[in-house]
Amino acid sequence: MTDPRRIKLETRGISKSFPGVKALQNVDFGLMEGEVHVLCGENGAGKSTLMHILSGNLQPGAGSIFLDGEKTIIETPRKALEKGIAIVYQERSLTEELSVAENIFANRQPTNKMGFIAFRQMNKRALELLNTLSLKSISPVTKIKYLSAAQKQMIEIAKALSTQPSILILDEPTASITETETQLLFNIIRRLRSEGVSVIYISHRMKEIFEIGDCITVLKDGQVQGTFPVADMSEDLLIKKMTGRHLSTHVTSTKAQQSIALEIKKLSGNGFSDVSFQLYKGEILALAGLVGAGRTEIARALFGADPVYKGDYFISKQPASINHPGDAIKKGVVYIPEERKDKGLFMQMTMEENILSGSIGIRDRQRVHPGNKRSAATDMIRRLNISPPLPDRKVIALSGGNQQKTVLAKWLLLNPQIIIADEPTHGIDVGAKFEIYQILQTLAKNGVSILLISSELPEILTLAHRILVIYNGKITAALRREDATEEKIMRYASGIENMYIDL
Amino acid sequence: MKKYLSIAGRSLNDRVYSLLLTIVVVSVVASFMWPALFPTFDNLSQVLLNMSVQAIVAVGMMLLMVAGAFDLSVGSVVAFIGGLAAHLMFYNQVPFIVAIAIALLAALIIGLINGLLVAKAGINPLIQTLAMMGIVRGLALMISGAGIEGLPDGFNAIGQSEFLGLQTPVWYMLAIVIIFHLLFGNTVFFRRYYYIGNNEKAAELTGIRVKRMKIYGFMLSALLAGIAGILLVSRLGAAMSTSGQGMELNVITAVILGGASLSGGQGKIVGALLGTLFMALVGNIMIIARVSGYWQQIILGVILILAVLADVLMQKRTGRIPKKFKL
Repeated sequence: MTDPRRIKLETRGISKSFPGVKALQNVDFGLMEGEVHVLCGENGAGKSTLMHILSGNLQPGAGSIFLDGEKTIIETPRKALEKGIAIVYQERSLTEELSVAENIFANRQPTNKMGFIAFRQMNKRALELLNTLSLKSISPVTKIKYLSAAQKQMIEIAKALSTQPSILILDEPTASITETETQLLFNIIRRLRSEGVSVIYISHRMKEIFEIGDCITVLKDGQVQGTFPVADMSEDLLIKKMTGRHLSTHVTSTKAQQSIALEIKKLSGNGFSDVSFQLYKGEILALAGLVGAGRTEIARALFGADPVYKGDYFISKQPASINHPGDAIKKGVVYIPEERKDKGLFMQMTMEENILSGSIGIRDRQRVHPGNKRSAATDMIRRLNISPPLPDRKVIALSGGNQQKTVLAKWLLLNPQIIIADEPTHGIDVGAKFEIYQILQTLAKNGVSILLISSELPEILTLAHRILVIYNGKITAALRREDATEEKIMRYASGIENMYIDL
Repeated sequence: MKKYLSIAGRSLNDRVYSLLLTIVVVSVVASFMWPALFPTFDNLSQVLLNMSVQAIVAVGMMLLMVAGAFDLSVGSVVAFIGGLAAHLMFYNQVPFIVAIAIALLAALIIGLINGLLVAKAGINPLIQTLAMMGIVRGLALMISGAGIEGLPDGFNAIGQSEFLGLQTPVWYMLAIVIIFHLLFGNTVFFRRYYYIGNNEKAAELTGIRVKRMKIYGFMLSALLAGIAGILLVSRLGAAMSTSGQGMELNVITAVILGGASLSGGQGKIVGALLGTLFMALVGNIMIIARVSGYWQQIILGVILILAVLADVLMQKRTGRIPKKFKL
């Protein structure tokens, strides 16, 4: 096989074990110069471990790394940077109170002869960098805290690029950014590729993998399943490689019932206004829209987590006054929040304590009797297939999918009538994702109403009976699934079209 | 055998057990070194009596620290509430029961103000309770000045009687610790504090009224400090405006030794008792050993660092992989 390009980075026989787990076994991975190499696999497959080894956070237990054909040891993240390897982590590394420029050049601020920071020079360099990234709307002197989540993500990338790396590792870079910014990011990646920079791109999103990738390496249980050119791959095959199973998406087939579970009329609150809709019993109703359109704000207001300014709220046709999540829970309305680690879970507490937490805030006859606590928790763990099935295990030790199932378990214990699920499959692996789809579909079949917020259109088109599109805090379209397509939703979501002419 | 070892290992990881073991070891060693002075009923009951006021305050502090907050004003509250009760009895001839009721109500109001300003207005608990510490100390000086003596016999009897050979403050202390320990372990109301301390946002979205619970926490902490203050005045038969000075830091030290964490979500009420007992024993032994009082402070500081360090090392050893490298 002759390849005109050079191999930039290669690992041979990398293994790494943690107590009780073989995180990586004999991993061979090759990265060409100027290619976008997608790394995929379920959570726990070893992607992060491999990434941490390449970036100097971890040392391999066995095997070696070759950079430009030479055997090398990457001792620390600093050494990795010196060798031209930059990484953008999923977790934010920005300091909110400092400026964009100071964040980009964190700990590498240019100084003058006296050893003081040369702010003017630093800002100028930051501005140049932002311009090359087409981020012209961001000023280098703005404090990070005034930026949107998507802009922060772009600054993370700018920070990595400011070191002029020859290898850029991106870990789920599009998790918190919108479609427009994703395209902007892809343009940057394409430009870097043409300049000979190699990119390792970690993502769960099928669409992106096929759009931006040159080749794909699949990891499963710490072992490489193979490296394939993107052109030879299909979505089905990729899922099969990742999970070892053949997963087919079953589109929700049940019909919603005729009775109304929840109705809101002209509801206005922080970030949305005049929102009216009905949610039927047994219906999965999706709220589609761009990040920041106001979907989460609507969900939080319905749950009583944020105030409602005006409007009417009916549950099972009864007017409801909901001023606190406790009120909502009592009425059978529960909320699965967007950032589960930050808002949904008590990470240092056990699975059992988390599962039983649902009723702790309310006075309720449904509360689990103390004597039945253990069995109630283990029942839920079995029902939702949470692994490992150990109620005393701290939630922090679970994978993302199992953490999300723990959040679900906590609410299902209360037999809710209405579930508001905000990005329920965000950042979890394909296997767990389909399990959560099945759980939601079963619940709907049993008469539970679900309000689903999702930024993944395929997810919405699989699960929802009806779709409400939100743009700028208002509903711009109500579509039946049969009538909806991704393009159609995007047109309403970006405000190009509006079903309700209200001028 | 292996099973028992692992149970023992896990128990030692729980601060209540490791601290209890330390207390036993220290006591046994001290008993052998000073058999005539340390292991006597008189000495030990005196240790318990001296720690009783502080232990009651520590119960409230433990509660707040489980919830992820703390209260620096407790030492001042001890002085002010005791002084207020004494003032009402001495200058206004108020019956002692009524004086106690009014004083405890004042304690609840102080707690309410702390709670409202921290939970509702969002002032950092350090700053809010630091300010309150100064304000209440000022009130204490104003109300009891150079001290108030000559309190009614009925009032003095509260803290100066004996029951089953022990001074009554010891019994009050034990009662309060046991009641709160049981409540904390077994009622939904108090379990909420663990959830709040662990993740405030998630607690709110789980339906817990976090702000309200925090206000209750500050009120309970102030109430317990008030009870401690009244008990102290009754025991001494006099109110002094300087009592309880520096107590807040001793109490926080005891509570952290007893298993609380500054980040919240951890700790048991009985740990507050054990932490206070441990500090009292160390103090007592040093007096017996004729070590200077300065050394006492130094040694307690070192012990605090060692205890927290042991926790950090223990967590690393038990294989909790740092979050960053989690698989």
